Amino acid sequence: MNWSRIVRAELRKLTSTRMPLVFLVVLGVIGAATAIAVAVGTDMDGSKTFISTATDQQSLMAFAGNALVIAGLFGAIAVAREYAYGTVVLTFLTTPRRPQAVLAQYAAVFVAGSVLGLVGAGISAGSVAAGLTMTDFGFMVSAADLAQVLAASTLAGGAGAVLGAGIGAFVRNTGGAVTGTILLLVILPPLAVQMASETASWVPGTLTYAASGLENVVSVGAAIVAIALWAFVPAAIGLVSVTRRDVV
Amino acid sequence: MNQPSGPRTRPKSQSYPISVEHVTKSYGGATAVDDLSFVVTPGRVTGFLGPNGAGKSTTMKIMLGLAAPTSGRSTIGGLAYAELADPTGTVGTSVESDAFHPGRSGRNHLRILADATATPLERVDEVLEMVELSAAANRNAGTYSLGMKQRLGLAAALLCDPPVLVLDEPGNGLDPQGIRTLRNLLRSRAADGNTVLVSSHLLGEVEHLADDVVIVNEGRLVTQGSLADLRQSASLVRAASPHALQAALEAAGGVVESNQPDTLVVRGLSLDEIGENAFRAGIALYELSHHTDSLEDRFFAWTGDAADRTQSNTKEDQ
Repeated sequence: MNWSRIVRAELRKLTSTRMPLVFLVVLGVIGAATAIAVAVGTDMDGSKTFISTATDQQSLMAFAGNALVIAGLFGAIAVAREYAYGTVVLTFLTTPRRPQAVLAQYAAVFVAGSVLGLVGAGISAGSVAAGLTMTDFGFMVSAADLAQVLAASTLAGGAGAVLGAGIGAFVRNTGGAVTGTILLLVILPPLAVQMASETASWVPGTLTYAASGLENVVSVGAAIVAIALWAFVPAAIGLVSVTRRDVV
Repeated sequence: MNQPSGPRTRPKSQSYPISVEHVTKSYGGATAVDDLSFVVTPGRVTGFLGPNGAGKSTTMKIMLGLAAPTSGRSTIGGLAYAELADPTGTVGTSVESDAFHPGRSGRNHLRILADATATPLERVDEVLEMVELSAAANRNAGTYSLGMKQRLGLAAALLCDPPVLVLDEPGNGLDPQGIRTLRNLLRSRAADGNTVLVSSHLLGEVEHLADDVVIVNEGRLVTQGSLADLRQSASLVRAASPHALQAALEAAGGVVESNQPDTLVVRGLSLDEIGENAFRAGIALYELSHHTDSLEDRFFAWTGDAADRTQSNTKEDQ
């Protein structure tokens, strides 16, 4: 089995429709909103304290949490649509050993999600920098911190896409996969924190902040491992379910 | 559609019969395929017939490893589909007529397949030309007519120039010229020693295309064999006392239908046996000859009410 060719086929699937363009437009809209907020937004007291320190600015450009959700939706839609349109039949005909086919799908959405995360963080950092030119504050984030923000968002994008792909493979329905991804990444974590406060350190929002260097409750290494685990569990469930089910 | 050229070289001596061995497939309490066995022979076009819900598509999915049988097995050249060294290079298939992303072009659809199978991208243009879809290759598949989708599916099946073709209703939506070209293409591939299995509910199409037929109904095998033999497996008898002759022939093991007052259609007995039984019963015969049914007549005789329902549904659809 030649992994490179089946991953290349999966990447061509992702890039041969308009879906990536739609997601890039979404990133652009978020970036524009960020730039406007930085340029004209104020705190409650009318000051611009929210951009007055390097940490404040880094927090504004930290995109990993958004990347996790946005790439999660990308992965969920990309894989669930394969089932909705029946194109997964060709996938399993060319790669009848389904674990390999599914892992190739995960690899491709990981790459695409990572790119979305990196581009999103890049747009976000650029938007903050552009917005700052309209204010009295300069760009204070160090190159190392900026690199950490970009790296965290890249990782979160890749992990989110794999998480969404796992849900898509399990649910096989686009609406269900989108709902499942939003439930898992947006709705359930705050509920879990309310029920058991000790989970607060391990929900996606905290972990992506920690990975971006903005939170100290868990180390960067632990945050990266935990984000990977958030992706691994749905991905494993998706893999097992695809292996066991008929393709209909 | 034009005749294919192939990008791969394969030993001419290697042939790939399709074998379905006691395959059963149950979904919950419902049995879609019930102890089905048949063989599809290389070098011949085999029509796979049955009413809607007879189990054709399920059987094809089991052949291709897309569905797991509850029991039994299906092999291609002695191996399960997933065990083939080069599955897509061995079996070309079109089992879902609209399995395309509507926002992806026909060309990109085939390029994805070419990537996955390590097929040179130039071959994509060759098969597009072959199925006469070059002009629409850059249009999104969502804008294609049913016939164009069928052509794209056929192009995908032919991309790796496989020695086995498994096609589900490939003639659906094709215009008469397209059907004729498809027929010539499939017959030409069979003539080259390839294995061709085509499911269809268009009996007239199969009658002109197939050498052999496999007929299923309610998941079970109804009959299998050479189309010519199956159509000529009856004898026509006109006799002075048809009722007495019918009783005599049935007693001898024949299956007798009486559609007209003095005419019997007899199966299961040779012309000689019919003549001898009539002689022994003292019944004068006015005519004794081979009877050739149309495939449609035989199909309805074999599948009964289920086929009637399919036919009426098809007419309503049209």
